Amino acid sequence: MLRSANFGKSLATTILIGFLALYFGILFLMLGFAIPKILADEFPDADLVSKFNSFLLAYFGFDLFIRQLMQGLPTISLKPFLVLSIKRSRIIRYLLFRSALNFFNLLPLFLLVPVFFSTVIPAHGTAMAIVWLVALIFVVLFNHYFSVYLKWRFNETNNGFYLFVSVFIGLFAANYFGIIDFKAAFGQLMDLLLVQPFLLLGFPILPLVFYFLNQSFLKKKMYLDLLEGAKKDETVRDFSWLSRMGDYGKFISLNIRLIWRNKRPRSQFLMTILFLGYGFLIYKDTGHGVPDVMFVLGGIIMVSMFTAVFGQFFPAWHSKYYPLLMAQNIRMKEFLQSFFVMNAVVCTVYYLCTLPYAFMYPKIVYVNLAVLLYNIGVNPYIIFLFGLNSSKSIDLDGSAFFNYQGVGASQWLISFPLFFGPVLLFYLVKLVAGAVGGYLVLGLLGLAGFLLQPVLINYFSRAFLKEKYTLIKNFKHS
Amino acid sequence: MIEIKNIIKAYNKEVVLNIPELTISRGEIFGLVGNNGAGKTTLFNLVLDLIVASKGEIRNNGIVVSQSEDWKASTSAFIDESFLIGYLTAEEYLGFIGELRGLNKTDVEHFIAGYADFLNGEVIGKKKFLRDYSKGNQKKVGIVGTFLGAPDVIILDEPFANLDPSSQFKLRKLIKDHAAQYGTTFLISDHTLENIADVSSRIVILEKGKVVKDVLKSTTTLQEIEAFFKPVAEPDLV
Repeated sequence: MLRSANFGKSLATTILIGFLALYFGILFLMLGFAIPKILADEFPDADLVSKFNSFLLAYFGFDLFIRQLMQGLPTISLKPFLVLSIKRSRIIRYLLFRSALNFFNLLPLFLLVPVFFSTVIPAHGTAMAIVWLVALIFVVLFNHYFSVYLKWRFNETNNGFYLFVSVFIGLFAANYFGIIDFKAAFGQLMDLLLVQPFLLLGFPILPLVFYFLNQSFLKKKMYLDLLEGAKKDETVRDFSWLSRMGDYGKFISLNIRLIWRNKRPRSQFLMTILFLGYGFLIYKDTGHGVPDVMFVLGGIIMVSMFTAVFGQFFPAWHSKYYPLLMAQNIRMKEFLQSFFVMNAVVCTVYYLCTLPYAFMYPKIVYVNLAVLLYNIGVNPYIIFLFGLNSSKSIDLDGSAFFNYQGVGASQWLISFPLFFGPVLLFYLVKLVAGAVGGYLVLGLLGLAGFLLQPVLINYFSRAFLKEKYTLIKNFKHS
Repeated sequence: MIEIKNIIKAYNKEVVLNIPELTISRGEIFGLVGNNGAGKTTLFNLVLDLIVASKGEIRNNGIVVSQSEDWKASTSAFIDESFLIGYLTAEEYLGFIGELRGLNKTDVEHFIAGYADFLNGEVIGKKKFLRDYSKGNQKKVGIVGTFLGAPDVIILDEPFANLDPSSQFKLRKLIKDHAAQYGTTFLISDHTLENIADVSSRIVILEKGKVVKDVLKSTTTLQEIEAFFKPVAEPDLV
């Protein structure tokens, strides 16, 4: 329906995803054309094809990891098909074949085909080159069906994904520290294939195995009661102790349940924990010490990732029961204050978690404190300001990665003021008053925002009351 | 208790509700009937200030609902599934509503025990989230939730729909008992005329956004409203 608030924006999102796909496609294509030259420059004496082969496993391993994060599961709405006279196996076949036409399966071809023409054919002749390319396509298909199968399995269990990550990191470490050289082994296998083409017969085995594993898994699951039964098994953890935390406790405990019991906020929350490791990437001494701006940026990303991730969908996380919150005995003021308090509590915990970095650079203790104060005292108001314009409800059960459901323009924009606002502010103040002045301004602004909380929350609760009808309508129609 | 004055609700100039005046007094069980699109839910949403009126105002206990939030402390409602929180268990949901209404954990437990018969043992202690309950059981939890803290006004939109026959009878009794005990004002809509005729003390029929009939309950009320909705006046067979 045209009155749906979704209509225009989902088109914009589709276009944006299209652009991203095009961007990565072109990037890979350029890389594909550049690789022979890069290899020739780096390893002038080596056999280029063999060198390229030796890097392939690293690529496919990374590919596997990215797929776990981003690739969607092949799904169709099952209900209408189950009652039609279509054989179950046919539905499954359709589902699995269609899933192979996936962007993640096309992307490697952009890379491989140029190398195939420019390097492999000249070195080994067309016939052998085709054998080589076909073998790699089988590897891509293996990655595809393996990822899909793991994702089905991980959907069923809570810890599967973390097991996968640990095994993955373990194998990576074993390879990195030279305990077992998987990378070279795979490279040698590909080299051997170019001499012994009959080895190609072995390549379809693994993709086929995982294709059939998928098939049998789906066959077992394709009954309505099983699909629904799977949902009921979640563990019901008790968070009642949180309600004793005073007036805001009830909302904080509601938010914690929201995060823990729904897939999308849960994965996003776990992501914010992963970001605590960001310091290892950003605190890099390039010889002249770490620039002050990098300390601010690192601090803001680690301390306020939670604010950004949850703030970007405030109040849309509660969209499915927004009318209840609006009609029940809650003042808008309490609702906003509870977000403010929760943000302050959680970000302080994140601040404490960043303190070990002080062993690397002691100043992190006060840099991150300034950032923390800013994030407690200023960023919530930015979130409220953007939240007033939220127009889409959030499907809590969706996946967290590459999930554009419920994402509108304001969700794209909000990270700029949240992250880069303080960095820019710091940078400008530093030009005038030096780095310490910059930290002071961040901290004092945060403190001011904290002290002005009664006034500002009153202002925003009036604004949210005014927008109440629009938000209810938007959440209902999206 | 509820005063409706000159209320007009229009979407794109199409008037969906037009009530010049309607007053619901304290302790009344106000039954609202009407075909789909008559404006029943619109009226309830206006009373709850979930949609904005094109014209006019509604007072709840003297408070203009669109200007202050003070009426929320004395009003509860269950309109549809957006009044449930899917990722909570039934106890947690009732506990949350209870907290909002100033009850502590033991109050809520005590309260839930009082509705064991209506909830029928299928709902409580199940370690299951509300999103996984059947429609009927979801509705029961939502309805029981509105009773928490004995608010002055309870608004229920089609509470009998999706309930099994025994539960419908139990709900009739619950509403009447609750009103008798606490003097609660109920606003209830439904499509099953028998249920409405049984629980209500006053019945209003809405048609195309207008009040077309407003009667206090008597022994002939059910026949009267049935006659109103019958397409053609056909002679009774008996």
